[in-house]
Amino acid sequence: MLGLDQVGKIYPNRVEALEAVSLTVAPGAIVAVVGGSGCGKSTLLRLVCGLDQPTAGTIRLNGAPIQAPHPRIGIVFQEPRLLPWLSVAGNVGFGLRDRPAAERKTRVRTALQQVGLSEKAEAWPRELSGGQAQRVALARALVPRPDVLLLDEPFSALDAFTRVDLQEHLLELWADRRPTLVLVTHDVDEAIALADRVVILSPRPGRVFAEIVTELPRPRDRHAAGFDLAKRRVLAALDRSLNRALITDAGETRTSVGAALWW
Amino acid sequence: MTASAQSTRAPVRRRGALKFGVRSPALGLLLPVALALAWEAAVRLGWSDGRLVPPPSRIAATLMALAQTGELAHHAVATLLRVTAGFGLGVLAGTLIGALTGVSSLARRLIDPTLQGLRAIPSIAWVPLFVLWLGIFEASKVALIAVGVFFPVYLGVLGAILSVDRKIVEVGLVFRLSGPALAWRILLPAALPVYVVSLRAGLGLGWMFVVAAEIMGASEGLGYLLVDGQQLGKPAQIVAAILCFALLGKLSDSLLAMATAPLLRWEDAFGARR
Repeated sequence: MLGLDQVGKIYPNRVEALEAVSLTVAPGAIVAVVGGSGCGKSTLLRLVCGLDQPTAGTIRLNGAPIQAPHPRIGIVFQEPRLLPWLSVAGNVGFGLRDRPAAERKTRVRTALQQVGLSEKAEAWPRELSGGQAQRVALARALVPRPDVLLLDEPFSALDAFTRVDLQEHLLELWADRRPTLVLVTHDVDEAIALADRVVILSPRPGRVFAEIVTELPRPRDRHAAGFDLAKRRVLAALDRSLNRALITDAGETRTSVGAALWW
Repeated sequence: MTASAQSTRAPVRRRGALKFGVRSPALGLLLPVALALAWEAAVRLGWSDGRLVPPPSRIAATLMALAQTGELAHHAVATLLRVTAGFGLGVLAGTLIGALTGVSSLARRLIDPTLQGLRAIPSIAWVPLFVLWLGIFEASKVALIAVGVFFPVYLGVLGAILSVDRKIVEVGLVFRLSGPALAWRILLPAALPVYVVSLRAGLGLGWMFVVAAEIMGASEGLGYLLVDGQQLGKPAQIVAAILCFALLGKLSDSLLAMATAPLLRWEDAFGARR
């Protein structure tokens, strides 16, 4: 169980990124966090994975507060962030350094098979395409078998086809051991396709604006009416979350900002 | 590979082959060789006596003579030992202190301003002091070379560590690396390309300062051959010694580049693929 209790973050330059965010994620659940730019989505993940400390509230994993990077929590960043001096296999096995070499080898091999990159094991990261590199990053995060996997707009830099491929791929990997997934995204399609719950943050400071439980049956058909309905509900909520900010910021009302958010 | 594949490959121009196409590396030899031949011809034809600017043949003869008596090897070894010792000490100190100041901001604030101040002193200015402290023999020469090597290496290590991509460091942090493990597994490999460049810069300065040290007083070494050639009016010997410096400098730099190349095969840089 991952729990955020009244979490706030004010950066040293006094920018308030998050205010009183509370969220509970059950084991094995997939939660998407969406919101306009500046709503603190990425800050939220940095706090959960222990790279930054909240200035208010607590984050707990199975009851224990998180104050530093946690062995049971993995993260995939927006960029692959592979270590360029390690081979693909070396990157995947990076988090297994305290394991015996034999175990490390088999687990890396299995992970590379799972992401379909066995033949790239000895390649350098520079030789991979963007989609391949992100799959290696996914394997690297999953190989230590985390209970919680955080994903920070993991597919946003990829082209549309590769993105859908990787989303499906992520679901296959998730089905294997069912870690908790917390996915930050600005792609509403992605949120609906992957998550059971969509949390909408409103910007400046980031707050939980709405939470939409979709729980569509899996595997999901992106062209089904239910998918479309869920998408419209999320977009409508996003609209409202942003309108409020726009009125206070610029003194004018705009209505269909949500649609523009896809891009 | 089959024989037919070999034969079809054979006509392909290989890199490094001595062919004088416009893209050939041998093209760079054209100018110096032409100048040397022209000067040789000028002396042979009696347009110049070649007393102050000896022709290539006279330089080659001097080199041969020095080599045959074993003098050349003796002086070259003396110089090489000094460069090796000074380079080793300078690299060791520069790496350790650079790594310390790179990793610890306290150490950086404490040590770096002093070192930057010392760096402003032209290294040759230390010579009188080194001679007083360490005597006129090997120790003061090695110290001068070490000081020359120290600064580029120190700056290289410090700068390389400070400019390591934060995003890559965060990967280490997420996998709960800290202290020496973070330095060894993330900072060191990430800093390596810049470090290698600073080592090569340091080696170049090492050669520069060995000449300075040997000119200022030595009874052996290639620098001694320079001074000896000047005092006894033997320009051919001076040029011969200069050629030896060029050869050894280039050779040591190539060796260093070759030794470090396997560590940098991963680089995805403009210059990495030729």
